[in-house]
Amino acid sequence: MFSEQKGKHIRTRLTGILKSYGVLIGLILIIIVASIVESTFFTFNNILNILRQASVIGIVSLGVTYVMMLGCLDLSVGSIVSLCSVIAVSILNRYSHSPDSNGTAVLVIFIAALTGFVVGTVNGTIIAILNGRLGESFIITYGMMIVVGSLALLYSRGQFAAGTFGSTLYLKIGTGFLPIISFLVLAIIMQIILARTKFGKRISFMGANVECARMSGIKVKLYKVITYGVSGMCAGLAAIIVTSRVNSASPLQGSGYELEAIAAVVVGGTSLSGGYGSIINTILGVLVLSVLSNALNVIGVGANAQLLVRGGIIILAVGIDVWNKLNEGKDLK
Amino acid sequence: MAAKNFKRNKVLSLFLDKSILFLLLAFFIVMASIKPSFLAWWNIQNIFLDVSIYGVVAFGMTILILCGEFDLSASSQFMWAQILFVTLLNATGNPFVSIVITLISGFILGTINGIIVTRFRINSFITTLGTMTMIRGLCLVFTDGKMVSTKNEFIAGLGGGQFLGLSSLTYIYIVILLILSVIMAYTNFGRRIYATGGNLEVANLAGINTRFYKTASFSIMGVLCGIAGIMLVAQLRAGSTQYGTDLALTCVAATVIGGTQLSGGSGSVLRTVVGMLVIVVLYKALIYLGLQAYFQNLTKGLVLIAVVMLDAMMSGRTGAARVKSI
Repeated sequence: MFSEQKGKHIRTRLTGILKSYGVLIGLILIIIVASIVESTFFTFNNILNILRQASVIGIVSLGVTYVMMLGCLDLSVGSIVSLCSVIAVSILNRYSHSPDSNGTAVLVIFIAALTGFVVGTVNGTIIAILNGRLGESFIITYGMMIVVGSLALLYSRGQFAAGTFGSTLYLKIGTGFLPIISFLVLAIIMQIILARTKFGKRISFMGANVECARMSGIKVKLYKVITYGVSGMCAGLAAIIVTSRVNSASPLQGSGYELEAIAAVVVGGTSLSGGYGSIINTILGVLVLSVLSNALNVIGVGANAQLLVRGGIIILAVGIDVWNKLNEGKDLK
Repeated sequence: MAAKNFKRNKVLSLFLDKSILFLLLAFFIVMASIKPSFLAWWNIQNIFLDVSIYGVVAFGMTILILCGEFDLSASSQFMWAQILFVTLLNATGNPFVSIVITLISGFILGTINGIIVTRFRINSFITTLGTMTMIRGLCLVFTDGKMVSTKNEFIAGLGGGQFLGLSSLTYIYIVILLILSVIMAYTNFGRRIYATGGNLEVANLAGINTRFYKTASFSIMGVLCGIAGIMLVAQLRAGSTQYGTDLALTCVAATVIGGTQLSGGSGSVLRTVVGMLVIVVLYKALIYLGLQAYFQNLTKGLVLIAVVMLDAMMSGRTGAARVKSI
């Protein structure tokens, strides 16, 4: 009897450790294996490169985390990145030829964030009108992904636009440590909002039980609209960093970002059913996926074969989440 | 309250059924007055051909939605069927062996989806999102992103063959429609799928093995994707990862336009025929009017959003008194 209880205790503690630090352990394992297989992996330049790449997807994932806390999905973020990219670069190319036109750059950053926010609120409004949960949000944002993606193509006439502007401020955003710093600053702000403010707590509450939240007087529709707006705004900010990094804009810049962001959030351990999750989890998820993708590149696995790995990881991560929940349920009984 | 809702649904759905047909008719008249050649027989024939190929997958999607599930990986399964079929044809030269193996492969892929969803209890959206990515990766690795083509005579004959002015592929579609309609309406199997989608708890309590019926729906979807892939190869004599990238969501739109509810349990395979017809006619009209490809995509997205909103209004879920959620 006693030993049985002790065994059970150890088992629950083990699963607890695995649950809390599983992603971190996975990250460290990937780094160790990749460093052993390929010595160029663990160099300062490569690590910096990984972090810079991770910061773009990372900023998108921050917004997606908020939406997934609600128990919804946002597939339109990739298209929002594309739309904001082409808008930002076209404005800069037109109005910013002198080298010190940093005012335009600041304005463009604001415009990109606003565009993302507006598209996000359109998403949120439709889903709020429908009282939508996972299913509706999936299909609506998929429709918006097609619509916004087409708008980006129409706006740019399907053409790739090289940056011919001279704003030094804008070009600096994507180089050196700046993308990483902006990602971290945004992450800290969003974590504080999520964990310490009324807004964040209400989002978690709505994700856990939307009916209950409505009955306790929370304006669930308004919060849904704002949450989607935040997700769109993050995508707009990611567009700024990515256009600054490559000094150009493609109308297909963000295609595929939505899946990477969802994968990162899910791998980090934010529950798909809503109500549970945190920004720190998402950062870990982003790091795991970026490091894995870079490691596979360094080892020499092609982009097509990486799709196989990515799809498998999404299913595996959600599977672990479900398995954990089932285990908890059994313990309660 | 419930009775009132039910009455409202019934009235609305009657209205919708007819309004969709009227819409289709009005659309034809408008198009014919703008461009009379829209009513030319070859165009009608092409519309039926497209409905036949994509409509087969839409049937699978309808059955899955009736059962309360969803399959995003249909587009990737469709690609895989094309590529596998062409490769087998070129390797063996025997169309029957190739058809059988392609269908078995579709069955296996569908069943894997079903098992992940029912046994491991992972949401079908995420499961099929994952398998979609994986199967697409498989197709790309297999073909290196290139188109594969075949010169098999039997397949060329199947795609080019005509009977009473319609392509032989359209007759395959009609046969599948008849078989599935009979299965869904008159057999225990079909009724249990409706029961599973209508109310999972009640179906479970009534002793229905809901896991089996969900898995079976996924398997049917896999086989139908295989058939559609073979039909496309018969028409184009080639397979590629470029054909049918947005197939899954088109099929969802067709299902919902037809009047099957996204929440499951209510609708029919026959309705999806009308839904698919509306979508194909709309797309053809957009091409016919000479709109830019980007505008076509824009319209597709807007149609999808409008359709889902229509579905929600039909099932009376827009008010505060929402009872059921997906």
